[in-house]
Amino acid sequence: MTDEGEPFAIETFDLKKTYEMGLVTVHALNGVSLKIRHGEMVSIVGPSGSGKSTLLNMLGALDTPTSGKILVDGSDITRLGERALSKFRNRKIGFVFQSYNLIERSKVAKNVELPAIIAGTPTKLRKERVHELLDLVGLGDKVDRKPHALSGGEQQRVAIARALMNDPAFILADEPTGNLDSKTGQEIEGLLLRVNQEKNATIVIVTHNLELAEGTGRIIHLRDGVIEKERTGLWGHKDAVTETRH
Amino acid sequence: MAVLDMVGLSFGALKERRLRSVLTVLMVIIGVALMTSINGLGGGMNNYINEQLGTLGADVLVVTPSATTFGPEAQSGLQTKLTPQTVRTIERMHGVKYVVPSFTGGGTLKSGSESKTVSILGMDQSKVVYIAPKATFESGAFVSSADSGGIVLGYSLAHPSNLDKPLATTGQSVFIEISMIENQGGVEKLVTKRKAFQVRGVLNELGSQSIDNVAFITLASANILFGKNSIYDTIYVITSNSDENDMVEASITKFYGKNIGVISPKAIASTINQVLGTFLGFLSAIAAVSMFVGAVGIITTLYTSVMERTREIGLLKAIGSTRETVLLMFLTESFTIGLLGGVFGLLFGIVGAYALIRVLPFEAGAMTITPWFRATDLAQAFLLACALSIAAGIYPAWRASTLSPITALKKE
Repeated sequence: MTDEGEPFAIETFDLKKTYEMGLVTVHALNGVSLKIRHGEMVSIVGPSGSGKSTLLNMLGALDTPTSGKILVDGSDITRLGERALSKFRNRKIGFVFQSYNLIERSKVAKNVELPAIIAGTPTKLRKERVHELLDLVGLGDKVDRKPHALSGGEQQRVAIARALMNDPAFILADEPTGNLDSKTGQEIEGLLLRVNQEKNATIVIVTHNLELAEGTGRIIHLRDGVIEKERTGLWGHKDAVTETRH
Repeated sequence: MAVLDMVGLSFGALKERRLRSVLTVLMVIIGVALMTSINGLGGGMNNYINEQLGTLGADVLVVTPSATTFGPEAQSGLQTKLTPQTVRTIERMHGVKYVVPSFTGGGTLKSGSESKTVSILGMDQSKVVYIAPKATFESGAFVSSADSGGIVLGYSLAHPSNLDKPLATTGQSVFIEISMIENQGGVEKLVTKRKAFQVRGVLNELGSQSIDNVAFITLASANILFGKNSIYDTIYVITSNSDENDMVEASITKFYGKNIGVISPKAIASTINQVLGTFLGFLSAIAAVSMFVGAVGIITTLYTSVMERTREIGLLKAIGSTRETVLLMFLTESFTIGLLGGVFGLLFGIVGAYALIRVLPFEAGAMTITPWFRATDLAQAFLLACALSIAAGIYPAWRASTLSPITALKKE
């Protein structure tokens, strides 16, 4: 519970994940406990193999921990069945991936629409929402383009629009600027900060990009599957965010 | 996910790999088309056989001098000469209504400058109505037994397809020419006989070569013309009821032993249809194998597709698709292949059957077979294509549905 008596947006307790790789047991997460408030923007940083992507996958219900608990809005998602987890991912989570993961054969609009199609949202509603979101990410004029006709930055904007389609409470971004040049990376960073502010979405970003991490409210340093330290981003408060955007 | 959205996504995926999808659909089309064509040809052949033999009455038995027409038995000379005494013997048997002896022979019908090869049947024409109950006259009437110069022509004889006008009409004079070997003073000689006839009638078309291509003359005329010495070629036995056929057949074979042939046209039709059915069944089995090959093609195509679209499947699961949704998406793809293959297979099969009729030697002579498609056969081929396609899609779809989203998303 937060000081105000509300449940945290995300809360993990002694999260562990081990993989058996032949004779070797790999401890990807070795007891991670963290709390994230609603509307907070958090980045997870750390060297390769520190367990940051594994942690993000756990938070997004893409993977299950070997032990420990994950509470989302006070509910333990590790106890959910496969169908309930699918529904949870569809309604509550928006994923943004390093390599965008857009469907090449489908137009921009269809890519954005996909989570709502899966949710069974009526066609009229989802079409309206697609236009609203593409306007938000600045691609209102590229509705009918195919992904290959867009730049990397534009493709990531489409992915962000797709992540927002079902109005999720959480955006989980895995290296969202990893495939982009620094200028485009900054634009994507600005867009995520704006989503955080305007939509009040809780955003967790896994990144190697310290510049991006400094723009978030809190930075969690992970090493060897444990939280090494936590600190506030250098300009990771709302005013500073606005400065970054401009 | 709504059904229409599911179909839309599946169609999109098939369109993306257009050539591969089209080739897979083609595999299904070949199987369904083969099956449809074979069934259509089989139906047409059945109809043809029934039509040919069905013109003879159901209560007719055909008695021939030998039980077999070829092989050692036929050559052994174990034959019964069909004489007027044979006719009288059969007439006395229980269940026999009429006994109609006949002579058959071949010759050339000449009318003016035209001529045509012809089968000639000599018999008491007042009994033709019992043998071919459907026979009716275009003009004229049958020849009376006393009219040795009268002749009745079957429809195809009077109206050859290669002539614009009839070869002969009622009232016209025609000639029959026959060539035969005669023993003259111990020396065999080829002699040609020529006899004038007057056309007394022309029959309407029956669709049976055994009537339409035949010239009917009296029994006495045929006996003299062919030099048969009152040894009949065939005796038609009309039973009092078709249910008595077996009994009469048994009586004849009991009396004459195995050295006489007794056949029922209905039984012939049934036997031919049985043999034809077995043969067509064999061809259908080959067609079914080609449908299975098509199903293997679907498995290959979809499995390759699953491999290529692993990241896409990972994404779909990450953004909330359930295992069932992914399974259904791929099954919809395989079903779509089956549906398209089924529909086009039926169309190509129907067109193919008509094309095969032209290519195969069915139209040689006056033999015309029209493909005939039973609705149940068409439905069976279509449903088999759909069912096999769905079955073929199960394994790839299951593989896709059980992919872990994380593993799938990591796939390069």
